[in-house]
Amino acid sequence: MTSQTSRQWRQSLGSSLLPFVDSRIYTERDIFEDELQKIWRKSWLLVAHESELQETLDFRTTTIAREPVAIVRGEDGVVRAFLNVCPHRGALLLREPAGDLRQANPSGSPKRITCMFHAWQFDAKGQCLSIPRRNAGYQERLQCSDVSLHQLPCEVGYGGFVWVHLDANPIPLREAMGDAFGALGPHLEAEPLEVFHHHKAIVHTNYKLWHETNSEFYHDYMHHFNRVTSMQQAGYHDRHYEAFPGGHATVSSMEVKYTAYEHEQVNLAEERDLSFPLLERNGWKLLDLFPGITLNLRGSALRIDTATPLSEDRVLIEFRGLGLKRDTAAERERRVRDHNTIWGPFGRNLPEDLLGVTNQTLGMRPGSEGLHVLQARREDSRIHDEIGLRHYYAEWSRRLGRDASDPYPEGSVHSIAAQALASAPLGAAE
Amino acid sequence: MSRSSAAELRAELTNLIARGAFLLDERRFGEWIDLTAPEFRYRIQAYSPDIRRDMTWLDHDRAGMVALIELLPKHHVDGADLLRQVSVGELHSESATEASSVSSLAIFYTARDIGDSHVDGGSSRLFLVGRYHDRFRTEGGKWRLSERSVRLQTRQLGVGSHLFP
Repeated sequence: MTSQTSRQWRQSLGSSLLPFVDSRIYTERDIFEDELQKIWRKSWLLVAHESELQETLDFRTTTIAREPVAIVRGEDGVVRAFLNVCPHRGALLLREPAGDLRQANPSGSPKRITCMFHAWQFDAKGQCLSIPRRNAGYQERLQCSDVSLHQLPCEVGYGGFVWVHLDANPIPLREAMGDAFGALGPHLEAEPLEVFHHHKAIVHTNYKLWHETNSEFYHDYMHHFNRVTSMQQAGYHDRHYEAFPGGHATVSSMEVKYTAYEHEQVNLAEERDLSFPLLERNGWKLLDLFPGITLNLRGSALRIDTATPLSEDRVLIEFRGLGLKRDTAAERERRVRDHNTIWGPFGRNLPEDLLGVTNQTLGMRPGSEGLHVLQARREDSRIHDEIGLRHYYAEWSRRLGRDASDPYPEGSVHSIAAQALASAPLGAAE
Repeated sequence: MSRSSAAELRAELTNLIARGAFLLDERRFGEWIDLTAPEFRYRIQAYSPDIRRDMTWLDHDRAGMVALIELLPKHHVDGADLLRQVSVGELHSESATEASSVSSLAIFYTARDIGDSHVDGGSSRLFLVGRYHDRFRTEGGKWRLSERSVRLQTRQLGVGSHLFP
């Protein structure tokens, strides 16, 4: 019988020859908590597009590393971000995913963020405007000026996307991105964009596994659509990965042959001549940003994935589709159809991708035989090279101060416990 | 329209909708397509409170639906059993040959191969809720589905689906 345990497999791995990560980085709660503190609270994150807050006093809400966040376009047109929490008693302020402050809520006045609980009111700049019966209750001990909302660093950039950082003094967004937007940026910044699609999925997987799926194309074998329209077409294996400081990576373009998909009746027999500014016809570029954002520009539609880790084995993924703000109705219909044919919740590719990462999670559960997940394909930085994964984990290891291939080095509590378990004879616990 | 012919129409269209749901549950897609008129159009739509827009998640004509069905074997389709529970509500006769209806829809999902089939296989949960907005017309003396717009309330669908409600 030929059999190999994970331990034997690891012994045969030379890390310099066959890079891998230890599967415990996907399953252990303490690593997840470490990631929230050292990565998710310390990164610029794409949380919305400006077209979701088109008018003054529009707002959007989200969550970053368990912190509720509100994004508000002020009366001055500036987009700001705040912790979406009342400084009085910790209640959530804005409850809807999106809306506007132009109407009064039952506890407060128009143009104000009002806590429904005790009617403390704030303006769109986060300044406290009203504390009911303040003087009677707090006398001179507390003024409105003592309790403004907690404002967060917020920038709009790279095609009108709204970026938020939980840390009070982050490095500038442009510095954090470096040259990562060099290839994709011109397509995003040539004309105003507009969101036309948004859906969410809570998936039972670790957020990194989802980002990995967006960072390697070897899994195109899973997608019939991608196999016939891309992998079997000229130029696919010439696509080039380029890695940037900070764990970001981008992939160069090719012309996708949509007509190769047998489903010509759907939308592919028609000439696909709708594209993005400056993008060649049916081009396909992709940008992965650390720690969990992907921008995927393909033909007529731009797809944005943003991950919100919920636990070590659950992640909320938001999927956005964007076109151009100036689209005619016919153009917009075209983009929507192109986008959702493959990327909608009833599309041909997305369910397969999500199924793939779900299956990985089932194969790597806490306490099961530890695995050593390969990231070892080297193909001169071409499309099936796993340089994107290796580059991501170089940054991950730097941020966490842990080696992704050896997250619990000799002598650590986990290592001792793992060794004790591994060396214990069967039945020793009885 | 007399009371008896209105009841007759309701019975006929309710049977057509129920038959369609059964055939989709059974994955007898070819027979389901036979219930549709040549100009059939199928859409899945939802309103997003996140971006405050209506969205169209699937939009095909009859040929498009046929092609989508024929290509299912080439994709990794979730093997779950779906059970469509449909309650026909509003029903309007627009002429002797045309009618429309709005039905409530709930689809239950019984796991087979997504998740740990050893642990989860056979368990059921609610997959989605929404409404069928259907239009019908007669063809050769038989009612056919000429348009179906599925308006979903459910916007979180987990891994999603290659199938359609």
